[in-house]
Amino acid sequence: MTAQKREARAVDASPVRGDSPAITGAGMTAFANADDRSLLELLLVAAERALDDADRDPAGVDSVHVGNMAAEAFNERSGLANALVGGLGMTGVTARRIENTSASGASAFQSAVAAVASGRSDRALAVGGEKMSAADTATATEIISRITHDREYEQGVTLPSFGGLAAAAYLRGSDADRRDLARVAVKNHANASSNEYAQFRKRIAVDDVLASPAVAEPLRLYDCCPTSDGAAAVLIESGPAESDDAVRVAACESATGTHAVADRADPLEIESVRTAGERAYDAAGFGADAVDIACIHDAFTILEWLEMEELGLAPAGRAWELTRDGETDLDGALPVNPGGGLKARGHPLGATGISQVIELVWQLRGDLPDERAVDGAARGLAVNVAGFGNNAVCTLLEGDA
Amino acid sequence: MTDLLECRDCGHRTYYEKHRCLECGGAEFDAVPAGNGELLSVTTVHVTPEGVREPNALGLAAFPGGANVVAQLDEELSIGDEVRLVGDRELRVTEDGPLWGVRIAAAE
Ligand SMILES: [Zn+2]
Repeated sequence: MTAQKREARAVDASPVRGDSPAITGAGMTAFANADDRSLLELLLVAAERALDDADRDPAGVDSVHVGNMAAEAFNERSGLANALVGGLGMTGVTARRIENTSASGASAFQSAVAAVASGRSDRALAVGGEKMSAADTATATEIISRITHDREYEQGVTLPSFGGLAAAAYLRGSDADRRDLARVAVKNHANASSNEYAQFRKRIAVDDVLASPAVAEPLRLYDCCPTSDGAAAVLIESGPAESDDAVRVAACESATGTHAVADRADPLEIESVRTAGERAYDAAGFGADAVDIACIHDAFTILEWLEMEELGLAPAGRAWELTRDGETDLDGALPVNPGGGLKARGHPLGATGISQVIELVWQLRGDLPDERAVDGAARGLAVNVAGFGNNAVCTLLEGDA
Repeated sequence: MTDLLECRDCGHRTYYEKHRCLECGGAEFDAVPAGNGELLSVTTVHVTPEGVREPNALGLAAFPGGANVVAQLDEELSIGDEVRLVGDRELRVTEDGPLWGVRIAAAE
């Protein structure tokens, strides 16, 4: 988007309902440590569920946007978009795969939203998935560490390594203590316990987090998201929406950061998240104050705090207070990761960004059972992050209050 | 090997080679000694990729000219310590042989 366009949109601060793309269907597979089905089958199941939810036939879809990071490495296959449309009996549509590491799902969603917003597509299907169980842990670690700069790679740096460095610096620079950080994982597990799509439905306590094995000090195993199998899909249509149930896409914006994490002036800053958030607020015509629920990319507990601060959902250096005070709990002022987040819902790389959007859709439509519903939520935010801030996609959705 | 890359146009330094300077877009860099820096954070990683030492103590250090570096610690160090880069360390073993590079050590 040009600066000029951005300015024009910011001036018109009252977006007209029905003008923006709308999400008319959402569906996903339950995320799991290992799912016996193939990656393609997972994508097909999620796509069918989204179409069923929208009460649409595949024939009505004119573009398909598939998010996946590493099917070549995990599953020894490529050509996912063509295989998926073939499985859905579709020909003559526009279809492609979008790869943006752990934000592949949100990037596929952004591509689908852009296709509808530009008028090139009337109905766009965004489908994301990953089947990580096909590789052993060492191979998965190696695949994921390959996204780093060569000078990072040679040091043996992994994504949890950056999380450990950030957590150590944050805890030293604030009054937060290690138990506060553990509360992020405790909350997200509690939220997942009633989410039938979540990988971990077991409640945990602060002491469980502190007793789990050290991964990248001060981060422990229960501070880190798992590897997962799963897929998620949404159908996006041009407005005005025919259904009262449709959720409006108020904004979907992205931004890159530096490739090498240490090239940032401050290791606690994730400027890609900040920039994507600012662009999204500008485009939507509302800001952080208007957000009722948020799905944050909590690949590590520390990231929930850092990203909330970048997005203006918490004052700089003070997101930990919201966690300690219960403000981010399901019944707090700003519920964060109501579906369990990456930590407990799971993190099948290419599916995650779309699963965040789905959680918001279900919350905004009021589809969820009482024990895991956020009352009266009208606006939701999702942020999906590639690597340790290489790239970020921020989505703002609006439903009927 | 313990040098940094200094942008010929704006003077900004980086450890991470690239075609263009992040600050000004300049395309020419000169190798300059890193000098002494400050350790901003440390972690000990207990789950490491194949061919990497386990545990792997890592540090993030800030050097003059705006260059931050994440590298293995060559000895036990704490946040706030004055540090330097030391070269010719065997960092990880790959199928194609060892990768050599810098570590972070206490300033002399
Ligand atoms: Zn420069």
